[in-house]
Amino acid sequence: MTDPRVTGSARYAEDLELPGMLHARVVRSLYPHARILGVEGSRVPSSCVVLGPDDVRELGRYGCQIQDQTVLAVDRARFVGDPVAAVAAPTLREADEAALSVDVDYEELPAVYDAVEAAAPGAPLVHDAAVAGGAAAYFAMRPQPGTNVCHRFRIRHGDVEAGFAEADVVVERTYRTAGAQHAHMEPHACVARWDSDLLELWTGTQTPFNVREDLARVFGVAEDRIRLVSPPMGGAFGAKTFVRVEAIAAALARKAGRPVKLVLPRSEEWQTLNRHPATIVVRLGARSDGTLIAKQITCYADTGAYADCGPGVAQKMGFSAPGPYRIPNVSVDAFCVYTNLPPNGAFRGYGQMQSTWASERAMDELADALGIDPLDLRLQNVLREGERYCTGETLHDVRFAECLEAAAEAIGWREGRRGKGLSLVMKGMQTPSRAAIVVEAGDDGGYVLRCATAEMGQGARHAISLLAAELLGVEPESIRFPDPDTSLVPYDTRTTSSRSTYMMGRALVEAVRDLRESGGRRGLGEVRDEGGLDPDTGQGVASTHWHQGAAAAVVDVDTETGLIAVSRLHTSTYAGRVVNRPGAELQTEGSMIMGLGTALFEEVVQLDGQVTNANLSDYPIPAFADIPVQLTHDLLEREGAEIHGLGETALPPVPPAIGNAVASLGIDLADLPMKPEAVLAAIEARQGAVA
Amino acid sequence: MEPEWLEPASLGDALALRAERDDATVVAGGTFVGILVNQGLLAPTAFLSLGRVPDLAFVRADDELRLGAMTTHRAVELSPVVRERWPALAETFGVVASPRVRNRATVGGVLGDADYASDPPAMLAALGARVVARSAGGEREIPAEDLIVGYYETSLGSGELIVEVRVPGGEHRATYRKFRTRSHEDRPCVGVAVCRRPDGLRVVVGAVADRPQYFPELCDPDADPAAVGRAYAEAIDPIADVSGSSDYRRRVIAVEVRRALEALAA
Amino acid sequence: MQVNGAAHELEARADESILAVLRRELGLLSVRETCGIGVCGACTVLLDGEPVSGCLLLAPLAQGCELTTVEGLGGEHPVQRAFADAHAFQCGYCTAGMILTAKRLLEDEARPSEDDVRAAMSGNLCRCGSYVKIVDAVLGAAAERAA
Repeated sequence: MTDPRVTGSARYAEDLELPGMLHARVVRSLYPHARILGVEGSRVPSSCVVLGPDDVRELGRYGCQIQDQTVLAVDRARFVGDPVAAVAAPTLREADEAALSVDVDYEELPAVYDAVEAAAPGAPLVHDAAVAGGAAAYFAMRPQPGTNVCHRFRIRHGDVEAGFAEADVVVERTYRTAGAQHAHMEPHACVARWDSDLLELWTGTQTPFNVREDLARVFGVAEDRIRLVSPPMGGAFGAKTFVRVEAIAAALARKAGRPVKLVLPRSEEWQTLNRHPATIVVRLGARSDGTLIAKQITCYADTGAYADCGPGVAQKMGFSAPGPYRIPNVSVDAFCVYTNLPPNGAFRGYGQMQSTWASERAMDELADALGIDPLDLRLQNVLREGERYCTGETLHDVRFAECLEAAAEAIGWREGRRGKGLSLVMKGMQTPSRAAIVVEAGDDGGYVLRCATAEMGQGARHAISLLAAELLGVEPESIRFPDPDTSLVPYDTRTTSSRSTYMMGRALVEAVRDLRESGGRRGLGEVRDEGGLDPDTGQGVASTHWHQGAAAAVVDVDTETGLIAVSRLHTSTYAGRVVNRPGAELQTEGSMIMGLGTALFEEVVQLDGQVTNANLSDYPIPAFADIPVQLTHDLLEREGAEIHGLGETALPPVPPAIGNAVASLGIDLADLPMKPEAVLAAIEARQGAVA
Repeated sequence: MEPEWLEPASLGDALALRAERDDATVVAGGTFVGILVNQGLLAPTAFLSLGRVPDLAFVRADDELRLGAMTTHRAVELSPVVRERWPALAETFGVVASPRVRNRATVGGVLGDADYASDPPAMLAALGARVVARSAGGEREIPAEDLIVGYYETSLGSGELIVEVRVPGGEHRATYRKFRTRSHEDRPCVGVAVCRRPDGLRVVVGAVADRPQYFPELCDPDADPAAVGRAYAEAIDPIADVSGSSDYRRRVIAVEVRRALEALAA
Repeated sequence: MQVNGAAHELEARADESILAVLRRELGLLSVRETCGIGVCGACTVLLDGEPVSGCLLLAPLAQGCELTTVEGLGGEHPVQRAFADAHAFQCGYCTAGMILTAKRLLEDEARPSEDDVRAAMSGNLCRCGSYVKIVDAVLGAAAERAA
């Protein structure tokens, strides 16, 4: 049996053809903030269907954490690209022409494009009123009425002002990270069809149940009148979460009385979902012997015009910002802020890339101010087994020191530090969460697994199949794992956060037990992890277990052009137990390479609310020739350990390892990406300071 | 309305159509036209394909190198005679985009498109190449440095087609530097082509303005490379785009011109 | 034109890409569109044996030519086997383009170095970042051929 990806027989959502199917295009706002005065579809040919504000006005609002979205922008467009109408036509060419024939009248409103500016009093408001919480909010919301802050999260642990007063050295810096685009090779795609009152969707989604929930609310139907099937995706990295193209496709399909396929043109991906730009202020204090005493962090996460899972991202950004260190006094304020930019949402690393950049750069700045080796400073303060984190939770299976030492060793840290940098990542896993799986015995001696884990290249299905084969005592080839179908699989929180192999693996153990105890034909297994944090104090359980890793980089800088060359990049991540080794390696390498892009050149550029680099030439992603000559990794395992997800862990520590390596050459950068211009400016600043 | 596909089988027919049909977009390799069509920036009523015109794809060398306009980048890159006698030219064609593009994109096409970030035009200008343009009325030679006059704009007349490019032979040393700020696949931020011949030096900087930048008065073959670099940086008013700001480009121009000249001397 | 060894007469507009035509007329779904501007390689097809961007090739330009897609390799081509053995893919969307490009590279260069492979394939993008294993696959295919 040869893999369909290699034979050319892989099939993605965009490949589905249904009889009578129409092709859709979205009509999008040309303005970053405007009143929609009218949408006219009279020039659209009668062979096409037009969806306008009047068709969706009575439909329900949706939004995974804040219900601030409507199927089309009604009355007000809030970003350049906000869907204001949609068309469906017999061919894509006719749909393109029809979309151009829709006339929209706008009245421009003042707009805001920066999270810090938008959070300040007096900024133009992107949304007028606070709205109801979404079903996928796993914590209480804290919107700040009358402002663009739709959620704020706090950690209060000890007394930071007292801590800073005691400190011998305090460093303070503002760090910024640019937005990024997931750039999954397969665009967003879905096919929607109504069969009397049953809505069926084939859509590349990581979150079938969350989408079903929101669509049920939108169309005012019971959830079991919606059936979602999720075919394997050509990459996702967080972009294919929650409602993206499904509501529009379903609304068009209902109006047309025919199935509708919606596949986004590449340029519209930058108008659909990007990664949260962040501004993070870190104040870090220590005694002269290197003992950390106090850390104060303020994060502003730019969530764009609609919140999506921004509150969760801001929260995760906030709770991981202190880093895996023993700090008696910690204060975190994380704000999720609306701006008139395209929505930002889940992106591999989920807020923890941004906070790790700030936290780990700050550690090196502190090390420099103290005159202590950055590795030693970290080892001195790193959290160890059984210690408590600033959220009050006790940490178990703690391997930070091991990861750090392995990474330092890999680049010969003790042999000389010039051009070398290290970093640590402490990343949480979606908590609380639920996973469930059904195992059915086939008549051929094999088994069928039914669960909602979606495949997006991460190999979770294969890993879960390997676990099942092991538990059932059969060959992996006899395990079948059909595409998630919400009418056939039990509820699972979603395929995000690198949780699936671990959580579904635990559910599988229960399912196999149930199968054996009930006669061997069928078993259901469910697991629930409880936890969560109080948004006002940050206390509770952020994560039932932690993804842990370290990165090390060796760099050269061309001081005349500012180009950074990474000659060596290494990560040491704690895997606990590796199930699917090639998959684990691929996910780690992929995370590192994505981290490299974030570190050196990826950024979503906007001008007056318009993304100006919305194509894969103006927005480059790492290519073969960009990979460091030496790109290596260790996956640390331990007998009897839990499976630890690896889908993201090796991404967040890469940019700060590179940034710290560059800083070891006297070039101090606070912003991502580390552009050559910024390198030259930093070199000049240092020369100016010295002169 | 479906566009027409015009596919003349002789140069004469092609030139006649070129003169008659100013609504027809010329197609050589088709890569640039393909991009414009996909992006919805081009929807012509007709395409004028040169694919069936005979004897437009060739690499001939005697004391000059003669490249037919329909010669692909890949053919120039791999041509043994170009690699031996005009190695910098082979190299320049070889750093353009990807093998897929180089398998289709042509010598005439890259000049006719006049994309400010293209690599070959700067190198051809540095080598003192001449572009041969033919029309129904005759033929003329245009110095490569005079061909591109603005963004995506050439000095070709409406009835003209590029048929050949002629590169002088003779003793020379040349090199091309393609400076990128982002991924290895990025379009260049600065491109520097230099060529030293017994009778003089040419420095041409591409990707920094609407057309390749050549200042004969700044090309003193005996000058210190750094001085030439600084002079070029001062003389050019560089553009700003996603790969670099104007100021940054200016700084890099000085460095890369100096490095190119140092490489020649080495 | 010939597609994967069989002769075809296909209907197309002059402004349609061969990518669109192959998918629509022949169901060759391995040819995929990611960028639409010829930079990613997901749409790679072999035109008379040479890799080109299918998204940029206006259909009439393929007239009289031989086109090859991954479906035409039979499933057991050494390069396909090498990719499978090296686990040189994750989501699989870029894989068809990678395989065709690698096939052509190995016809030119029987014993490429790692640098040769990276340089030759750099125009094929993989967002999942399977590059390390793809290089392994190509080197593996070369080694097997030499053996």
